[in-house]
Amino acid sequence: MKKIKIASIWCEGCSGCHMSFLDMDERLVELINKGLEINATPITDLKVPDDDTDIGIIEGAVATDHHEEEVKMMREKCKFIVALGDCAVFGGIVTMRNYTPVDELLKRGYIETESTVDGKIPTSPELGKHLPKVKAVNEVIRVDYYIPGCPPSADAIYHVLNEILEGKKPMLTGELLKYE
Amino acid sequence: MEKIKIKINGQEVEVEQGKTILQIAKEMNLHIPTLCYLEPLLPQGSCRLCIVEDRGKLVTSCNTQVAPNMDIKLDTPNVVESRKLILQLLFTERNHYCMYCEASGNCELQSLGYEFGLDHFEFETYERKFKVDDSHDYIIIDPNRCVLCRRCVRACSQLAGHNVLGEMNRGIETMIIADTDLPLGESSCTSCGLCVQVCPTGAITDKRSYYFGKDIQTEIVYSNCDQCPVGCGVKVYKRKGSNFIVKIYGDFEKENEGVLCKLGRYGALFEEKPRLTSAKIKDDFGFRKIDFDGIVKVINEKMENSVVYVDGSLFNEEIALIKKVFKDRVYSLYENEPPIKSNVSVGDIKKGDEFIVIGVDLNREYGVIGSFVKRKVSSGNGKLIVFDSNFNSLANITEYVFGRDELESGLEKLKDLKSPIVIYKNLSQKEVEILSKYKDYKFYNLPLETNSIGLLKENIKHRIEKSKNVIFIGKNPSGLKEIAKDSFVIVFTPYDTEEINKFDLLIPMNDGFEREGSFYNIDEKIVQKKKVLNKKFETFELKDIFEELSKVNSL
Repeated sequence: MKKIKIASIWCEGCSGCHMSFLDMDERLVELINKGLEINATPITDLKVPDDDTDIGIIEGAVATDHHEEEVKMMREKCKFIVALGDCAVFGGIVTMRNYTPVDELLKRGYIETESTVDGKIPTSPELGKHLPKVKAVNEVIRVDYYIPGCPPSADAIYHVLNEILEGKKPMLTGELLKYE
Repeated sequence: MEKIKIKINGQEVEVEQGKTILQIAKEMNLHIPTLCYLEPLLPQGSCRLCIVEDRGKLVTSCNTQVAPNMDIKLDTPNVVESRKLILQLLFTERNHYCMYCEASGNCELQSLGYEFGLDHFEFETYERKFKVDDSHDYIIIDPNRCVLCRRCVRACSQLAGHNVLGEMNRGIETMIIADTDLPLGESSCTSCGLCVQVCPTGAITDKRSYYFGKDIQTEIVYSNCDQCPVGCGVKVYKRKGSNFIVKIYGDFEKENEGVLCKLGRYGALFEEKPRLTSAKIKDDFGFRKIDFDGIVKVINEKMENSVVYVDGSLFNEEIALIKKVFKDRVYSLYENEPPIKSNVSVGDIKKGDEFIVIGVDLNREYGVIGSFVKRKVSSGNGKLIVFDSNFNSLANITEYVFGRDELESGLEKLKDLKSPIVIYKNLSQKEVEILSKYKDYKFYNLPLETNSIGLLKENIKHRIEKSKNVIFIGKNPSGLKEIAKDSFVIVFTPYDTEEINKFDLLIPMNDGFEREGSFYNIDEKIVQKKKVLNKKFETFELKDIFEELSKVNSL
């Protein structure tokens, strides 16, 4: 049986899509029995996928330079990229910040919030630098399949992975295609 | 109509000339997706989603009439791919990300996205942000969700006749504006709310219903509005499993063509007068609560020397019941005889081309009649002359405005009118005399109360008669003041006002959508008001009390 190796990352998102992934429950076992192999994911806590990964799943939008690097790494290491959830597909709710300059936002968030005393904007070099605008994944790299939804239903994720395992091109229709 | 032969999807059909491709497709049960198209409005062809292929060319089906030799194909790859591209452009031109928008679930753009399997944006989006206009009491305009279909603009002019909404600039810069780009709340908007009803996305929404649940969580009750005698057809959206109305929409299938006025759409939901919450009777120490048996006992004692006054808020069933118990001792508290009887109907108003309006501002009351007059006049197909001594907001589309005292001389000057429809609600004796000289004129009386005509049909006339005991049944007891002096006064009414607390026995009645019954509308047709809500207070039904009364009496 041919194994299909998947990896996933989680950029500017809320982890809801990964929760939905786990929400497949016993169907996850069914997929693994069919040949799904889970490689580097936030669930396995491995950061870098193997070079021969078949499918890279990206949750969340691209909001910082770190995210940009990570999605580019995914594109290099994976044969197919699946954008999972509204943030990865459309930019999502996090694009709300696109209408305000980044420095104003940071000031509001870390200094001017009503409950903040002596606030300061974090400057650690370990942190990613905010891009001027949050982008959907397909504005940075080529994306092969999209699963919109906030979060996408476990049914939709199962459908896509199952179709890929069966060697078909996944298409979302009817109840599986939702923007919310 | 002449018939011509065309081909649709390879099938040869004979069709009537003058029809559009979309109409023919609908008759053949063939689906063409649409967005800017809406049945009662003139087609505009601005969204381009309804494109079909005719001999290799793409044409918009909603506003292209069939022509001989057409060979129309509805779903060629060219058509489908073009529609997908158009959808991509529509979705990315402004902010149509569904999670930002409460219309999600009730949105025609979203449904089209699902229909065409749109699963990502191909173009950059979230580039522009527009200011949301929330200046209006009931309506929010959010240009960020607008797809520029102009349904609102067309509904505002073609159906409702208000001509408030329009457009500004061109192409991608186009904006839907009120008047001369005024905030909606400061514009000439009459709050009829039709724009909210026709908007396919979340661009025009109403403040109340917007966050109160999606259509799927509501059930629709078809009813007639009883705010005024026009009696428009309404669709009442009630939230499933709760005692709560989300919104009221106009019914496109009824005489009012979906148009409502501020009173019908918002007045019925927003206007909350203090309610009488339980029955109470006055004794030496003030008011005390009284129960059903107590009420029946008191009324039974006082029935002997009593007169009953009613107003036009009562339904036919209630009037008949009162008439049955109190026979000829029932009077209308207010004048309900029309000064001159109507000899035309709403249908004639819609077709009419000359109107004389006397002493009534049709933007403020009888709003739907106003809409029908205004849409004829402002589209250049009708003349309007107003006689009013007060400010009349119809004045800006009239040929002439006269004072009411100028009726005689004014009509003299208007000799070139053939047979105008005269619209009025109350006229003085002198005005009636003047008008009666014009034999060719048509008359349209606006009854003063919702069911004025129902009272007349039951032969209940306005008359003031003093009596030891006075019973009033209705919503407006303000005319009781003089009559009620030195009498024992029993009041059946829904509202708690300062003046009713001077009376002796107060019995709360149901109000608004807690009530059910029929009434005669302005054209003397019987229409039904449906019950939507359960009662909220310890109110009483006339029927229960009166039935008990007749039982007690017969013993």
